[in-house]
Amino acid sequence: MTRLSLLLLAAVVASAMVLVHSQYEMRRLFVEHEKTLKDAARLDMDLDRLTVERRAQATPLRVEQIARQQLQMRNPSPGITQYVAAPGARP
Amino acid sequence: MSSRSVQLSSSPLLTSKTPVWRSKLIVATIAIAFAGLAVRAAYVQVIDNAFFKHQGEVRFARTLALPASRGRILDRNGLLLASSVPAPSIWANPEDLERDPAKLARLAQLLEMTPADLERKLANEDKTFVWLKRQLDEPVVKDILALDIKGVYSIKEYKRLYPEGEAAAHIVGFTNVEDVGQEGMELVFQKQLSGRQGSRRVIKDRLGRVVEDVGEAVQPVDGEDLQLSIDNKVQFFAYQKLRDAVLDNKAKAGSVVVLDAQSGEVLALANYPSYSPAKRINLSGEQLRNRALTDTFEPGSTMKPFVISLALEKGIVKPETRIDTSGGHLTIAGSTISDSHAHGTLTVNEVIQKSSNIGTVKIAMQMQPRDMWEIYTEVGFGQKPQVPFPGVVSGRLRPYKTWRPIEQATMSYGYGLSTSLFQLARAYTLFSHDGEVIPASLMKVNQPGAGVRVISAENAIAVRKMLNMVAGPGGTAPKAQTVGYSVGGKTGTAHKQEGKGYSGKKYRGFFVGLAPIERPRIIVAVMIDEPSNGRYFGGDVAAPVFSETVQQTLRLMGIQPDMSVKPQTSVQAVEESF
Repeated sequence: MTRLSLLLLAAVVASAMVLVHSQYEMRRLFVEHEKTLKDAARLDMDLDRLTVERRAQATPLRVEQIARQQLQMRNPSPGITQYVAAPGARP
Repeated sequence: MSSRSVQLSSSPLLTSKTPVWRSKLIVATIAIAFAGLAVRAAYVQVIDNAFFKHQGEVRFARTLALPASRGRILDRNGLLLASSVPAPSIWANPEDLERDPAKLARLAQLLEMTPADLERKLANEDKTFVWLKRQLDEPVVKDILALDIKGVYSIKEYKRLYPEGEAAAHIVGFTNVEDVGQEGMELVFQKQLSGRQGSRRVIKDRLGRVVEDVGEAVQPVDGEDLQLSIDNKVQFFAYQKLRDAVLDNKAKAGSVVVLDAQSGEVLALANYPSYSPAKRINLSGEQLRNRALTDTFEPGSTMKPFVISLALEKGIVKPETRIDTSGGHLTIAGSTISDSHAHGTLTVNEVIQKSSNIGTVKIAMQMQPRDMWEIYTEVGFGQKPQVPFPGVVSGRLRPYKTWRPIEQATMSYGYGLSTSLFQLARAYTLFSHDGEVIPASLMKVNQPGAGVRVISAENAIAVRKMLNMVAGPGGTAPKAQTVGYSVGGKTGTAHKQEGKGYSGKKYRGFFVGLAPIERPRIIVAVMIDEPSNGRYFGGDVAAPVFSETVQQTLRLMGIQPDMSVKPQTSVQAVEESF
């Protein structure tokens, strides 16, 4: 009888330790998960910001200025354009 | 005195008899006290447990807001017109601010303020919250926080960026510092764009880290993206050409609307003067107004094609019918109508081509006022355009029963009624869509709205031919021509109303037209307000903007020219010599 009680006591203590440990693990992983989510959100925002910045670099105004002033380009007129019909396209 | 020790067992006190009730009383009292505690404990923990539960939660549970991001505004090809980026704001608590002069000087420098300005903001030590600067760039905020000044904090906020700047400012609009739409599409679609904030309950440990979720989180609903019908390149070029024309003609203002002639989508809508959405200091109403939608004016001669198409429809005239306009003057009910030049006898085609008031009036006076009113109404004059935009106006078209004969006459050439440029452009879908008017849309549409037939396709094509002649030799707007694309349109020049009468020297010049003429793809309407550099006819001030806009837009749309163009390049390769 006493042996059984001791055995059960040991089992209870062991399970309590496991519980404490798993709770600790859970919280640790939770914090890590939170951090990752936060990083993801930050990267998302960075992506948004960079997309906007890239767009701002490619506005028609800027493209036009660079094309005209730095690259000395000009608008094509229909006179210097060769039109090719796409296969199956309507005339 | 000698002390006498007494053994406890032989203490005389023990021999005295204690009354039994005393011990019973004490036991009973203690028992009652314990029972009281037990009841209280049960009450607090089982029956009325809210209070302590709440107190406990206050100490470890927190509700965090989950912000929803504002939707983006895109053009028809998915390019950004407006997007939110994080822009933290800096605030301070003057009460417990660390006042280190060196650090504060550096802070002022990073905030782009003078140290004196910063000092003034932080002067009141009774305050616990002062904005130092809102919506800064992230790198700057990092530098500020790196200074590690006690009492200076950052808070997460978002800023709206508009890559297209002033070219699309009127249509896109802007948000205020609290991210609430104030103008344009940002205002109209505030609800859809802003989304809904979510929230979650969490448990925090003593270091403030989130360690556990409590219950279920309410997920945030991000704002929806909004796709407009605008094409950012068409928008930019239209704005650029308009701006140049307004400046060249020393005009007060101008507007341009580009419609897709087949779907009714607005490809571009621009006004000048405009503003940069990023720098909104000292904005005037002049700059803010989206004239194309919110200002009405008398459309002048641009109304004539509607009268002529009605006359064709009713069988009153044929395109070749000859009308006598000689003399250049016509008197109706005591008022005189005149042409800028006397033309003699004109065909109906030439009435449009040369924009003869007399010819138009002579045709119009053979109609019932009711028929004229009906066609004007059917193409949308006096009706509020069905587009979601703040301050859209309906213009003015009086009921036909109140028209006097002279008014019917003036209305046939565009005086006595008013319209916005947007309405005028949309009304021209009557000609571009073979006799049907189609609804205009500021949103990208996949399925064009059903048109309403007003005149027969045959008559619409006949009027298109007349419009084509306007831009041809002998017309009022040869400057509307483009290289390679056939165009057609109608000029308009109207005296501006001033008080009760018309101003002698202030004009508006218009041009509304379509291209290519056989199978129209776009409608372009241009209005130049008060040109004051010598020229003021629509054919001189507005037609060039039309021409350049059409040329650019059709090229961007990849449409092959329908007129033969003299090639300027040699396509034959020269054989290489060895």
